[in-house]
Amino acid sequence: MKIWIKVLLVLIALSIIGAAIVYKFVYNKQHPDYENIEASFTLSAQDLYQEFKKNPYPSAKLYNGKIIAITGILSKIETADSLVTAVFVFKQGDFGDEGLRCTMLKKYNKEAIKLQPDGEVRIKGYCTGYNDTDVVLEKCSLIINNEN
Amino acid sequence: MKKTIIIAIILLEGISASSQKFITKTGHIRFFSEASIEKIEAHNRQVNAAFDATTGDFVFKVLMKSFEFEKALMQEHFNENYVASDKFPTAKFLGKITNIKEVNIEKDGIYPVTVEGKLTIHGVTNTLNEKGTLEVKKDKIEGKASFTILLADYKIDIPGAVVKNISKTIEITVDLLLEKASK
Repeated sequence: MKIWIKVLLVLIALSIIGAAIVYKFVYNKQHPDYENIEASFTLSAQDLYQEFKKNPYPSAKLYNGKIIAITGILSKIETADSLVTAVFVFKQGDFGDEGLRCTMLKKYNKEAIKLQPDGEVRIKGYCTGYNDTDVVLEKCSLIINNEN
Repeated sequence: MKKTIIIAIILLEGISASSQKFITKTGHIRFFSEASIEKIEAHNRQVNAAFDATTGDFVFKVLMKSFEFEKALMQEHFNENYVASDKFPTAKFLGKITNIKEVNIEKDGIYPVTVEGKLTIHGVTNTLNEKGTLEVKKDKIEGKASFTILLADYKIDIPGAVVKNISKTIEITVDLLLEKASK
């Protein structure tokens, strides 16, 4: 085989491998593994809600898009379609209950449904912001034992 | 921004004073666009909405970071490059169902409605006038509407490198299952 053909074949092979890497790790990269990302902040559910309520814009800059671990007394569990949401109510307002809403990762749905109101729970999730009534955490997992 | 918040509060206060208030915190908004190469679809199932069946006043608010895409890269680009969700974390609609008198919330059925109001995305507000339906089913009302917006109207720029991959318009579908408020 002529040398230039060998070089060409190697270049083609490298191009295919490069394209495959870009496709897998850039274009088609996986969503973050929210459950296993270490929390950037750990605080009480009520403190998080109060911070957003008192200072919505600075709080949005600080917390939006971050993984936050909260502790609080659960008010209720809501289910809508496939969503299971742990709700911490701190106020009654125009949209009814206001507080912190934590939508669980699917794998935690069954466990979350069994949670009893008025019990203390620790939850970790991705903060998407404050909508003038509630602070919203999504992709939430239950924190058991002493993990963060 | 302050003016919009004040208007929203006034509208919500108005809604709260009524006994015919319906609300949801788990409304669904889907957006979809299809260009020659790329199909983009995202869902937000955390939509806050309130509706006063007496006056027709209607408001919904969306957290931009709550939109979920199938591809993580698209979600990143959406938040960082297109809607700048750190700078503009919410989108909102404040408006009214103009033919509310044609809707009988005491009688189950599907009622065609016209929604008029102001939609704010990416910090830019435009007037909307769209058709939709209200389906009355017992104590619940399901509001549905589907409409198309032009990205340029909301100053959402498409980078030149991907301009052929992304449609200049987005189809938005709103589906809100509203429940009667307890207060």
